[in-house]
Amino acid sequence: MKRNKATKLGSESQKEKTRSKGVSQWNIAWRRFKKNKAALAGALIIGFVIFLAAFDSLIAPYPPNDIPGFIIGETRVPPSLKYLFGTDYVGHDVFSQVVYGAKSALYVGFGSAAIAMSLAVLVGLVSGYYGGIIDNILMRITEIFLVIPFLLILLVFLRVITAVVPSGVGGLSMVMIMIGIFSWAPNARIIRGEVLRVKESEFIEASKALGASKRRIIFRHVFPNVLHIIIVLTTLMIATAILVEAAVSFLGFGDAASITWGQQLQLANEAVKEAWWEGVFPGLFITLLVLGFNLVGNGLRDALDPRLRE
Amino acid sequence: MIRYVVRRLLYLIPLFVGILIIVFVASRIAGDPVRLMTVQNPQIGEDSKQNLREYYGLDKPLYYQFFLFMAQLFQGNLGNSYAIRGGIAVTELIGDYAWLTFELQLAALFLSLLIAIPIGIISAKKQYSKLDISVTTTSLLGTCIPVFYMGIVAIIIFAYFLGWFPASGAHSLLAERYPFGSDILDGLWHLALPTAVLTFASLAPTVLLVRSSMLEVLRQDYILAARASGLSERNVLYKHALRNALIPVVTYVGLYFGGMLAGAPVTETVFNWPGVGRLFVEATTKLDFPVIMGITVFIAIMTLIANLVTDITYGYIDPRIRLE
Repeated sequence: MKRNKATKLGSESQKEKTRSKGVSQWNIAWRRFKKNKAALAGALIIGFVIFLAAFDSLIAPYPPNDIPGFIIGETRVPPSLKYLFGTDYVGHDVFSQVVYGAKSALYVGFGSAAIAMSLAVLVGLVSGYYGGIIDNILMRITEIFLVIPFLLILLVFLRVITAVVPSGVGGLSMVMIMIGIFSWAPNARIIRGEVLRVKESEFIEASKALGASKRRIIFRHVFPNVLHIIIVLTTLMIATAILVEAAVSFLGFGDAASITWGQQLQLANEAVKEAWWEGVFPGLFITLLVLGFNLVGNGLRDALDPRLRE
Repeated sequence: MIRYVVRRLLYLIPLFVGILIIVFVASRIAGDPVRLMTVQNPQIGEDSKQNLREYYGLDKPLYYQFFLFMAQLFQGNLGNSYAIRGGIAVTELIGDYAWLTFELQLAALFLSLLIAIPIGIISAKKQYSKLDISVTTTSLLGTCIPVFYMGIVAIIIFAYFLGWFPASGAHSLLAERYPFGSDILDGLWHLALPTAVLTFASLAPTVLLVRSSMLEVLRQDYILAARASGLSERNVLYKHALRNALIPVVTYVGLYFGGMLAGAPVTETVFNWPGVGRLFVEATTKLDFPVIMGITVFIAIMTLIANLVTDITYGYIDPRIRLE
């Protein structure tokens, strides 16, 4: 073969052209997710709410907890150009309050899910992988949390906490922590199931044969493969947390000093007869946000499922 | 089989006591009920309050109070309420309200199963059809709408705009308002809207569960084998597929039954339904310890029984579980 500069350059550029980027599982999943219209709609909804929360003081026409309608006697006014969603019994502009509530909803949603999932992953991974007595003990503890009547215990604990801790962001944080602490059990069981399934795989056997320590196997091999289900569960957990916070605030056990949609529904419960707009709009936003996370969660589940072939 | 049942039963007892301890300790950390009771009356001096505390046994150490509670519990005595209906016995109080809660929850459970299972099956059989898509969309939406929001909207539409149903309560206050003068019809008339809302709220996840479980089962090899051996489609669907598909549904329903009481507070508050759930909210707000503990005992027992029954049924249906 003639070895001159031209050929050499030619073969090098050819090599570069044929060296293609590998398609990772994440790429495949992302592509599948993009094709799912419902999931995209859900993502759009979430994005919209995040936008509302981030720019709330710019979007809401009135300051938080301001009562523009009170002095001029415009309480319980139906939706109009001045008050997009009407006013409530005190004189708050419902639209502004709803916008300010977005931040609380996202805060509690993400926060509770973070706490609950951290606990669930820890328990699920350790329990599933180590097995034996550790598994037994952890599963007993999990069962206790599974059997406890959730709402009951939550209400009692919240009554304790919100009486003791000062209100404001502190109070809302407490609500978030409480929800997180009591919600980890079902997901822990699911994750443990997945870990048990992955444990039987051949590459785990290979790792063990190569002498990898148990800790290494858990974090470097089992965990990435259970990650799929963890992502889906987290997203769905956020949806559940938002619903629970709304229910708890509705019953009056939330943080009175924060603005949350559930709380607006609580105040609206008395006004149902005269002012339907007081309750309909905050509730609508709760539904939308929860729907958004559910759609994205389902979309992620379909996209990340390793058993589906392209 | 018996050993399995006994094992589960023995296991539930420490669980029960555990729940009681947790609620007991938590409620007492919340504060002093005597202070709450007397907050509106500044004339009550500190020594009177202290007398009250001694009367209720609130000054004793916590573990002593708990043992006292457990001892009384075994005698079937749940104590007297601090702040509700003038110190009525808790057992009597719960007895008054319990049936109403059951009425609502059982009606909703029954109706939702009745509707959800057939719809789930048909939806699974005709996957991707227009029916299937509308069913799944509606059900998905149903899981996202908070129950109390559904209740509020239902009240606005059906009780205020249309005036077809009463907005709250379980009975009309005046006998003149009874529809057709009938007491039973009045009860049903008030039951209608809360039941409808609760049914729809339970329908949604159940339909999705039945459908996905059915889809999973229909993909199995033994279904193909059944079809290949010439069985009618109806036979295949109802006799072979359904039995297997219902296993997770049974588990779900069993646990739901246990959790139904726990979820009652919300629905009952929206409709002002005089049940145990609403009572619990009131008691927790007022720190009425005997009522709080009484309802906890009640609900804990229900939940644990539901779990036991679910485990037994599950063990009966799926022999693999029994051998664990």
